[in-house]
Amino acid sequence: MLTRYLFVARVAARRQWIYRRELFWRSISMILFMVVFIALWKTAYQVSGRGELAGYSLAQVIWYLGMAETVMLSTSRIFVEISEAVKSGSVAYELARPLSYPLLQLARSLGNSAPRFLLNLMVALLVVLLGTGQLVGSVPGLLAFLLTAGLALLLDALFAVLIGLLAFWIEEVMPVYLIYQKLLFSIGGLFLPLEIFPLWLQRVAKWLPFQLIAYTPARAYVVFDVGELGRGVAGQLVYIGVLSGVLWLLWRLVQRRLVVHGG
Amino acid sequence: MPRQGANLTIIKVDNLTKTFRAVQKRPGVRGSLQSLFKPEYQAIHAVRGLDFEVATGERLAFIGPNGAGKSTTIKMLVGILHPTGGKAEVLGRVPWRERAPLAYQIGTVFGQKSQLWYHLPAADSFELLARIYDLDSEEYVARLHYLVEIFDIAEYLHVPVRKLSLGQRMRCEIAASLLHSPRILFLDEPTIGLDVVVKQRIRDLILELNEREGVTIFLTSHDAGDVEVLCKRAMVINHGEIIYDGKVSDLRRNYLQTKTVSLKLAVPWEGFSAQGVRLLKQRGYGVKLEVDTAQTSIEQVIAQLLARYRIADITVDDPPMEEIIAQIYLAQTPLSEEGGAC
Repeated sequence: MLTRYLFVARVAARRQWIYRRELFWRSISMILFMVVFIALWKTAYQVSGRGELAGYSLAQVIWYLGMAETVMLSTSRIFVEISEAVKSGSVAYELARPLSYPLLQLARSLGNSAPRFLLNLMVALLVVLLGTGQLVGSVPGLLAFLLTAGLALLLDALFAVLIGLLAFWIEEVMPVYLIYQKLLFSIGGLFLPLEIFPLWLQRVAKWLPFQLIAYTPARAYVVFDVGELGRGVAGQLVYIGVLSGVLWLLWRLVQRRLVVHGG
Repeated sequence: MPRQGANLTIIKVDNLTKTFRAVQKRPGVRGSLQSLFKPEYQAIHAVRGLDFEVATGERLAFIGPNGAGKSTTIKMLVGILHPTGGKAEVLGRVPWRERAPLAYQIGTVFGQKSQLWYHLPAADSFELLARIYDLDSEEYVARLHYLVEIFDIAEYLHVPVRKLSLGQRMRCEIAASLLHSPRILFLDEPTIGLDVVVKQRIRDLILELNEREGVTIFLTSHDAGDVEVLCKRAMVINHGEIIYDGKVSDLRRNYLQTKTVSLKLAVPWEGFSAQGVRLLKQRGYGVKLEVDTAQTSIEQVIAQLLARYRIADITVDDPPMEEIIAQIYLAQTPLSEEGGAC
């Protein structure tokens, strides 16, 4: 049963790989972003006159940013295609096949992400290494990063499918995505490690799923700690379970709506 | 593959109805607000009480103008739409309740919706379908070779679908729908948008499959030409009701015996007369003739025209569906009761 979804993911990945040159150009945005932020952080540390902010050295915070950005730029935005299929009504025909549409889209999303992730990671390592002149991290840290980044991309794919399916109820799903994205930027810890936030906000953020997508993998790379990693992975798994449940329910609703009302 | 006797009923439909609710929009800002909070619905009766049966191996055409309820019916028969009332059984299953198990035994082609991955070669889609339908690899390879040969698609197999012409794509679509050896093939407007030659090719292929494998063909079309060549039995649907159910040969004899010939001449028109030919319209170099094929064959008329005029362009059309329907109403043909008898 699962092999069909693996096949879908493989085909999607292969397709991305065919356009790897295009992907490479896209990582230019990563380079620009990193250059700007490296300059910003350098100034911030200089002005503060301290060697550490919230427990991060300058090099650590830049490596953190590079890793968080690697995950963020590898997400596949599958909601665009889903919402289009919903609006055009073609999603109804997907029901004619003995196949789970949400699983199909999740597989495609992950397949799309995999080659992007590898390229982004290479670019990030290079840029950050050049920018800081310092190698931060460890082999266990890298492995922990790979694990948590994979789960993070799955979480993001679940969000993307859910957002795409919202097109059944709202005209335009892009604003919802933009809100989601800004949540990742802020309390997801993409731009700033969570430790920099005031305590109360940190506490709130820790309960929400957004930090599991950006903060958890980046932190696991920069500061490898078994206990922290365990909590991070556990949080990711719990939210993957919760969102899968929500998706399952939503898809049932959608099916009923499609089958009874004809979309 | 199990094959059943020729006269077994494979589709059974009993008083099937579908009514859609559409939100009635009221004019003005106030109206929009009212619609938002207290929507007023308008009932649209897409299908009103269909009754028919289809026998194994039959080739049935379901024809009618746009909006007559053809697609709605096919969607209910493949289980992706729930009826408002009535019953239906396909291969002994209630489609909308047993959609997944039924999907393994039926094939679907929707002219409006591709089942192939747009950006990828058809070969990838075929392989995915093989996995979806749990074909083992030996079985799959054999089946693929067979279909590739019949549909003559070997050279397109590795070209991204988006680069194929509509006709090439449609051949791939139909081949894809047959990969899992379905017992019924539902085709919803398979020839829509195709040119005459390609249409004919698609019809030939469908015919061949029906004859080789005994696949039951359930085809919808708003093109009367599809019916003539492809099917033995036709049902005509209009406003959600079946207004004709019978042999295609009867339909042809009674309502499809005329064709229109449109000409664009290279020389001035000087009139033309032949048995069963009537001038419909003439303006400048453009001429439209109606030919009663019961009296004169199209070939004869065209040969005579060519002998007499230099012609820039010529097209032959069946009468439009609306006209056939009007004639059926005029003739007050009682509904045929011999549903699945052929």
